[in-house]
Amino acid sequence: MMVQVIVDGKNYEAEEGSLLIDLLIKEQIKVPYFCYHEALGADGNCRMCMVEIAGQKRPQIACDTLVKPDMEVSSKSEKIEKVHTDILELELINHPVDCPTCDQAGECSLQDFYMDYGLHESKVRIEEKVKHDKHVDLGANVMLDQERCVLCARCTRFTDKITHTHELGIIGRGDEAKVSTMPGRKLHNPYAMNLVDICPVGALTSKDFRFKQRVWFLETANSVCHGCAKGCNIYIDHHKIKYEDDMIYRFRPRRNDAVNGFFICDAGRLSYKLLQNNRQTMIRHKDEIISEEKSIALYQSLLKQYKNSITVVIDANLYNEEIEALVDYAQRIGAEVCAPLECYDDTEFADTMLKSAKRAANYEKVVKMGLDRTMPKTSGLIINFNHTETFYAEMQIDFSTHQRPNASFILPIAAYSEQSGSLTNEDGLVQMCEKAVHKNSPSPTLREWLQKVGL
Amino acid sequence: MREALIVSRKFSLEESHTLAVAQEHGAYKTLKKLQNLSPLEVIKIIKESGLRGKGGGGAPAGNKWALMPQESEKPSFLAVNCDESEPGTFKDRQIITKDPHLLIEGILLTCYAIKAIHAYVYIRGEYYQYQQVLQVAVDEANAAGLLGDVKITLHRGAGAYICGEKSALLESMEGKRGHPRLKPKQPEPEWYFGNPTLVNNVETIASVPFILEHGAEAYRSYGTERSPGTLLFAMSGHVERPGVYEAEFGVPMMEYINHFGGGVKNGKKLKAVIPGGASTGVLTAKEAEEVLLDYESLRAMGVSLGTGGMIVMDEETSMVAVLKNLLEFYHEESCGQCTPCREGTGWVDKLVGKILDGRGSSADIDELLEIAETMNGKTICVFAPAVSAVIVSFLTRFRDEFEAAL
Repeated sequence: MMVQVIVDGKNYEAEEGSLLIDLLIKEQIKVPYFCYHEALGADGNCRMCMVEIAGQKRPQIACDTLVKPDMEVSSKSEKIEKVHTDILELELINHPVDCPTCDQAGECSLQDFYMDYGLHESKVRIEEKVKHDKHVDLGANVMLDQERCVLCARCTRFTDKITHTHELGIIGRGDEAKVSTMPGRKLHNPYAMNLVDICPVGALTSKDFRFKQRVWFLETANSVCHGCAKGCNIYIDHHKIKYEDDMIYRFRPRRNDAVNGFFICDAGRLSYKLLQNNRQTMIRHKDEIISEEKSIALYQSLLKQYKNSITVVIDANLYNEEIEALVDYAQRIGAEVCAPLECYDDTEFADTMLKSAKRAANYEKVVKMGLDRTMPKTSGLIINFNHTETFYAEMQIDFSTHQRPNASFILPIAAYSEQSGSLTNEDGLVQMCEKAVHKNSPSPTLREWLQKVGL
Repeated sequence: MREALIVSRKFSLEESHTLAVAQEHGAYKTLKKLQNLSPLEVIKIIKESGLRGKGGGGAPAGNKWALMPQESEKPSFLAVNCDESEPGTFKDRQIITKDPHLLIEGILLTCYAIKAIHAYVYIRGEYYQYQQVLQVAVDEANAAGLLGDVKITLHRGAGAYICGEKSALLESMEGKRGHPRLKPKQPEPEWYFGNPTLVNNVETIASVPFILEHGAEAYRSYGTERSPGTLLFAMSGHVERPGVYEAEFGVPMMEYINHFGGGVKNGKKLKAVIPGGASTGVLTAKEAEEVLLDYESLRAMGVSLGTGGMIVMDEETSMVAVLKNLLEFYHEESCGQCTPCREGTGWVDKLVGKILDGRGSSADIDELLEIAETMNGKTICVFAPAVSAVIVSFLTRFRDEFEAAL
């Protein structure tokens, strides 16, 4: 039942019995917290999310307070601000304050809260602080700095409650407590790098990303992972260093409760490398780099030469709009169309969390459109739109984002991160991807090529 | 002072830990009484007796028992807390070594009342030799067919003070790290692997046979109106005869110390008394002269009765050194779950260390009080509030000594 709650003098509605902190987060009422996470639930250990509740003698943690009708909450009184400041100070007394070399700087809860509630001089000198290990390789691309850790236990709860792999625990007591794996054991699960995202501070960092770029330089675009047909929502974090090209530095999960919740798999997270490396940038015919003009003339003469014996091959990772345009194009030039899928079936990759056995982002679109999903039958000419399989034909033209070593006539196209478009995930949900990367010399998009070669 | 032997009645007997001697002196007699009593009637008697938990908190035991479901699809459990780790407290080990059958009898009566099928005794790891005495007693009782359907298992702790906190104890029993759990929103039993469980201190359970044998009124004839019965009070520190001596609640503290302990050691003057285990605060000699040994009188003085384990300190004791000693203990034993406790215990230990070394400043004393304030009432369990109270109690009563050390 929805009930009225008063927070800082304003009325809000919330479900009776729900967690007060969820209301505060939803209504963007500022309250500091480390250990609470919507995917992991309340643990109540950081003691930061204290609020005052009318009728209660002591301040209460919002993450362990259930909403009651007509509850009166104060999140900003002088008394409660002091509580936030005092507990934050304790959180910081053994913190190494190595923000200048910490990859979390710029997206660190500890930093943010210090700016909001702290701003005090440190009363404990660096040499009096408790020392821990600063470079622990937990495995699975996750590095641990025990000194930066606030012991919020989000990471241990992630391996307990989300992956059920239980690799992490807290050992030691008091200010000697620290996160650790069992002796001789490593972090080993396909979702481990989410730990880097859920760690509110710089204790867990990505071996892949750390020391590469300061986060405040990164630009972010909303996109969808192309690792499989699940359609996990992601952020593409990219940056163009002066005189260099716009580069992707990392993928991060973007919350979508209808698809992936808070997380993505490590394979998807690291797929930005495949996207970015070994790109085809030049138009090449046989061993020769040719001009766009020359390539268009060659393309058109091949079309004439193989008239009535042409097959258009569509890759199931292309956007909805591209697939539709290609089907339309094929019809106009009188070509057969196929979108081979079998090579994308990978039951070994799949699990019951987020990883799908269909390892193409737009698998479902191909199925929905009723396209021929088999390999192309014998043809004079195959025009391949970014499919990675090897085909057999007298002649093949490849429109390709990536290099194809044996291609005889290859034309580069823009990758999904360099244009916007939509995908249909395995559950039929159509999701938009924004253009993220702006290359110095962008390859034409597939649709631009279709314009150039004459629709 | 009148004699009040409820739990320690058989302590002075030769071979009191054996079944033969115990039975010769009336052990397990009350089990027969259960034939004419329903579980709810037993709980009623315990409630009427006013029996209070003797592990330090002093909560009414009967109310806790009443929270246990009489009808439940899940099995019910009893967990007896023998993780006696509070500095200054060593009474439970007297029971398990000198009259283990009294505890077992209490366990059987309690299990009957709360319909528990299995009782665990959680014993601190350091009590290995005492655990063996209790184990022999359990085996003897079992062999004699006294346990009936109840199973008794001794569970050894691994040396963490916090596992004496009832929910941390259960976490530990479940094989997890001993971290206290978040408090429930309404009164409910504790949970052991999701099953309703009663957690009581050894002495509380060991008081049950007397109450069932002689009735609630007989128990209430000892002690005060609000603190009925007796406690195995104990003394350590600067007394002539340190040890555990049972007395009824409400006796004057100094009378107890003089009567059983033979007064302050070597005829020195008394300086201070920690009334009931390290976490209960400290009293000046003057306060100790006035106070009575019951929950309410000590509460009125701003300290608590705790487990009744008094630490007596003579005039030559440095209160700064005592506080440092205690804070080192808390620094070592904080489980590290909540921020104020994890970081606070270390910081206050370092600050008092500084003062003890003569490197302190008056700002450090203010700082100590401020951290104590942050540690009070903001954590999952009462560990940090207890540390906070200890600091405040030392600094308010003996501030001049701290200032002199600067």
